[in-house]
Amino acid sequence: MLRNPYLDTLITAGLTVLFIILTSYGLAALARQIQRWRGASPKLQQDTFAGYLFAAPWITGFLIFVVFPLAASLYWSFTDYRIAAGVSPKWVGFSNYLHLLLKDTNFRASIVNTLFLVVVGLPLQIGVALFLAVILNQKARGEKVFRMAFYLPVILGFNAAVLLCWRLMLNTGTGIINQILRAISRAFPPFDYLLRAGIFVQELISAVFLGIGSGKFNLLMKIWEAGFPPPNRVPLWIQSPLWSKTSVILLMIWGCGAMMMIFLAGLNNIPRELHEAAEVDGATRSQRFWKITFPLLTPYIFYNLVVGTINTLQIFEPIYVLYRDNQPLVPSAISMVYYLWQVSFRHFEIGMGSAISWLIMILILIVTVIQFRLQNRWVTYELY
Amino acid sequence: MRTSAHILERILLYFLLTGMTVLMSFPLLWMISSSLKTLEETNAPGIIWIPAHPTFQAYMRLFQNSDFLRAYFNTVFYTALALTGTLISIAFVAYAFSRVEWPGKNLVFFLMLSTMMIPPQALIVPQYVFFNKLNWVGTFKPLIIPGFFAGGAAMVFLLRQAMAQIPKELDEAAFVDGASHLQIWWEIVMPLMKTPLATVATFLFVGFWNNLLTPLMYLQTVDLYTLPVYVSTLYNINLTVQQWPTIMAAAVLTTVPLMVVFFFSQRFILEGVVVSGLKG
Repeated sequence: MLRNPYLDTLITAGLTVLFIILTSYGLAALARQIQRWRGASPKLQQDTFAGYLFAAPWITGFLIFVVFPLAASLYWSFTDYRIAAGVSPKWVGFSNYLHLLLKDTNFRASIVNTLFLVVVGLPLQIGVALFLAVILNQKARGEKVFRMAFYLPVILGFNAAVLLCWRLMLNTGTGIINQILRAISRAFPPFDYLLRAGIFVQELISAVFLGIGSGKFNLLMKIWEAGFPPPNRVPLWIQSPLWSKTSVILLMIWGCGAMMMIFLAGLNNIPRELHEAAEVDGATRSQRFWKITFPLLTPYIFYNLVVGTINTLQIFEPIYVLYRDNQPLVPSAISMVYYLWQVSFRHFEIGMGSAISWLIMILILIVTVIQFRLQNRWVTYELY
Repeated sequence: MRTSAHILERILLYFLLTGMTVLMSFPLLWMISSSLKTLEETNAPGIIWIPAHPTFQAYMRLFQNSDFLRAYFNTVFYTALALTGTLISIAFVAYAFSRVEWPGKNLVFFLMLSTMMIPPQALIVPQYVFFNKLNWVGTFKPLIIPGFFAGGAAMVFLLRQAMAQIPKELDEAAFVDGASHLQIWWEIVMPLMKTPLATVATFLFVGFWNNLLTPLMYLQTVDLYTLPVYVSTLYNINLTVQQWPTIMAAAVLTTVPLMVVFFFSQRFILEGVVVSGLKG
């Protein structure tokens, strides 16, 4: 039977609305009935009815789309379940988890890659966001236009179309970024030294992480032996395993606008008097920044760090658009979520996919808890 | 002395701000420039800032490409439906958490906030199996229907914060006049919520429009593809020479609605981000 997909969707949407209305009314009436049995006042009965009526869409959605799936995936993570084969799940105990943690080199690589983004990329992202917020906070004319320009990448940033534009810009030979780097290096030799030094450091760090992921450090030795890069070397953005993650970091930095907005709010909350008093006492600008502004911003840095870590641990789109099926680079670039997608929807191994998603969840939880534990050591909530 | 140092400092500041603005908007400018180039120009070594003879061929080709046009229509269709349903249900649920006192409210609210800690990826796999059982894989339904159940705790929270600021006396006066909660919601609270609703609508719009992962999983035939999925298929890994002008023209057309929405709602968003600390 050939059916119109749009009409089909509209009908289902209508039926869903009907379903929500019915379940909401049912839940609310049930809650009111319970209150009546308990002998509550008419006002309380009425409020109970209204409260559950209005909250019911979320409550039913929570049961259908969160509780039930979580329970199912917890069960499947202990089974061998291949949806394509059409057989029911087979209980295998902890073997999925053991396989992932002990044997699966791809999974280990995906964790190390994602951690690279968190350890190297996130501080850079937060740093640039802080820098942008501080210069925007100087009360320049046209502040709104600049603020819009800095925030725009957050809106566009994760669209596949815009990511493809980055794919074009990052090409090693003909990409615009390397063209510009080459032109500046030629015109201004000190920049060439700076660029080569940057390339050297970047490749060393990247090679250390690749070594941790694969257990072999020969790439690191090779870079060390080759020594300082020759003149006119350019970054190999989407060509070399040493650079694949750095390109993603570039994208992260580009999308730092949301963090910048948080910092701007924080900067606005710093009382002017503190700065004025310090200025009268003869504090220099950098002293004022490190002794007043920075400590008072630490709660905002903490917020950005926690939210940024969670977001970075869940990164998917840039990896998909830049490295999808780019075979030699995939092991050096895959993130945890990309691997989850690959296992679940390429190989249709639902049991293994469930185990991966639970491991991702546990990892996010552990990292977040550690961050909250450590916050007393460096986050200042009051200056005096 | 002090003034000349001050002027120098200002010049430096504007130089920095302008430089950063150029850097941040560069991908967008490059996208537009590349879409107007010929295939030879996009793959040529050397920098071509502005094509010598701007050509709209790539756009013309896209306008004749029925797959692209259908992908555009699909995105508009799915975004419109999902946005309407999600926005209404979020506004509905936010009312329960801000203006009604009911037993169990705090527990349910706490549950809702704790769902923000669950990474969406943990739910992907079981939801896929669930929709597969319903025979919904290969339709738009899995992308749209979950939103109808007030999907997105962060958005409910944002709207609840705004609703809680309306004085309670307004409701009480309406109650005395015999209004029901539904009437208060629609006739008193909603008209006062225009700005927060616009903020939430923008965030939701951007989220739905940019969504790649879920459409990628559920829409398995070309005639159902949304823009992000279709545009990413334009980049064909098996080709040595990519059709960059066409890809970039498609990218520009995909980005235009985002730009328009951002332009009109930026003053709400920029406040909303600060209030709620949300990412777009």
